[in-house]
Amino acid sequence: MPPMPELNRRRWLLGAAGATAAAAMAAPVAQAARLKTQARIVVAGSGLGGLAVATRLSKLLDGARITIVDKKQEHNYQPGYTLVATGVWPVSKVRDRNADLQPAGVQWIQEMVAEFDPVGNAVVTTAGQRVPYDYLVVATGTHQDWGLIEGMDVAAIGQNGLTSVYPSPEAAVATWQAMDAFRQKGGNAVMTLPATPLKCAGAPLKITFMLRDRLAQAGTLDKSSITFYSAVGNVFGVKPVNDNVVGRWQDLGIGIEYTQKLKAVDIGARKATFVTPEGASTEVPYDFIHVVPPMRAPDAVKHSDLAWKEGGFAAGGWLEVDKDTLQHRRYKNVFGIGDINGTPRGKTAATVKKAAPLVAQHVVDVIAGREPGQKFDGYTSCPLIVREGSAMLIEFDYEGKLVPSMPMIEPLQDSYFAWLMKYAMLKPAYMAVLKGRV
Amino acid sequence: MYEIWLALNIVYEIALGLWPALLILLGVWLAVLVANRQGLWAVPLMRLLAIAVVVAVAVGAALPSLTLSSFGNFGYWVDWANWLAMAAGAGVAVAVGLWPLMARRQG
Repeated sequence: MPPMPELNRRRWLLGAAGATAAAAMAAPVAQAARLKTQARIVVAGSGLGGLAVATRLSKLLDGARITIVDKKQEHNYQPGYTLVATGVWPVSKVRDRNADLQPAGVQWIQEMVAEFDPVGNAVVTTAGQRVPYDYLVVATGTHQDWGLIEGMDVAAIGQNGLTSVYPSPEAAVATWQAMDAFRQKGGNAVMTLPATPLKCAGAPLKITFMLRDRLAQAGTLDKSSITFYSAVGNVFGVKPVNDNVVGRWQDLGIGIEYTQKLKAVDIGARKATFVTPEGASTEVPYDFIHVVPPMRAPDAVKHSDLAWKEGGFAAGGWLEVDKDTLQHRRYKNVFGIGDINGTPRGKTAATVKKAAPLVAQHVVDVIAGREPGQKFDGYTSCPLIVREGSAMLIEFDYEGKLVPSMPMIEPLQDSYFAWLMKYAMLKPAYMAVLKGRV
Repeated sequence: MYEIWLALNIVYEIALGLWPALLILLGVWLAVLVANRQGLWAVPLMRLLAIAVVVAVAVGAALPSLTLSSFGNFGYWVDWANWLAMAAGAGVAVAVGLWPLMARRQG
């Protein structure tokens, strides 16, 4: 082969300079014009929301004393639970040491908040320590109310066909073990959905899609039935998504029962009891059941003056924040981030991705004596797995309007790209959010 | 612009998980690059392109199954465009990686 024109040296140098610039961009954002303050800021909770806001505040403020209060020693990548529970990921992918993720310069009190005292501007920990603050960010997440399901025992997940993706990585592993055993023989599968707001409301749908796919792969689909029992009048709160999923399930032979709330489960006898709003009760035998717990705010928030006192969010004790600014409606030095917020939608990691920069900036605004100036649109995203290897990348706002972040994405189109996002890219994106870079 | 920034951060976070191996690889590559700098510009571009194409085809063929999917799950043009970009990126990366070694052969 004759020698071709030589590579251009200048182009090579330009390329090298570009690569260096890219590397520099990927480094944490440089701090420009940090606000000097002696403010004491308490962040209650060290999930994605708490860590993302604490990290951003430590970069935006000079001299602030930021304290995270949370006893959690293990940080879990909860969006990965559905992948663990369906045999796609090993459990190690959803486990990190919380100590490794704490922002530099931030104090970490390794206890839980037992009490919020917004009048006295303090939180009280489970060990009785009173931690005063000037500004508070509530990031406690949700409480899973397993006690509302008679006979339910979280420790029994994995046995007798009882599964749930929600409680922990261990439960996700046990769920996969039970699903794997179930698909060998097939049988009657019962999937549930409660009536309360949920974190990752797409998870019950993903598990249903994946169970059906695993049965098909194992060749036991014809010996099986899958029925989704929803406590409300739909399977997903965003109408276009709901209609799409219902259509897909019709095609896949997945049955749906509406307004059927899981009241009780008899684990040994493998029977679930559902009730309608009118009180009619139905007993359903199963070989496999996926239980989704009702959710509410943790007691410390629910029983405090920070919770909604009236309206639709009061029953769950959710944090009373303005949905646009995520600032508390009555205590202006308090903000909320993540699942705890009593807002129309948005209990996903993607919500935190969009909300954390806004909350951090609004805390800075209030410290500087300004009104919070940005408006949160309620952005939420759900990579909805429809089978192994394919998903839909659904993004929506408070109004339930589909808002794809890139114009070429078709939200209701099942695609490899959306699967690849879920499978390989969203955990790195999550880590970048946690570190306050995106 | 935000999506580009997000994509850069995703690549950065993935690289963080591999940094010891990447660092060693980068060190070796730089050493070979410096040692063979005289012959770099004599490497035929077509040869580098051929390597890039072969690697891109191999990576492209393997990518869906490596990510627990299949070509049957490609739903619309966005899937094909991303797949093509990833395969091409892998091809270019390998070709660039081999460039100093080929310069050594030229020398």
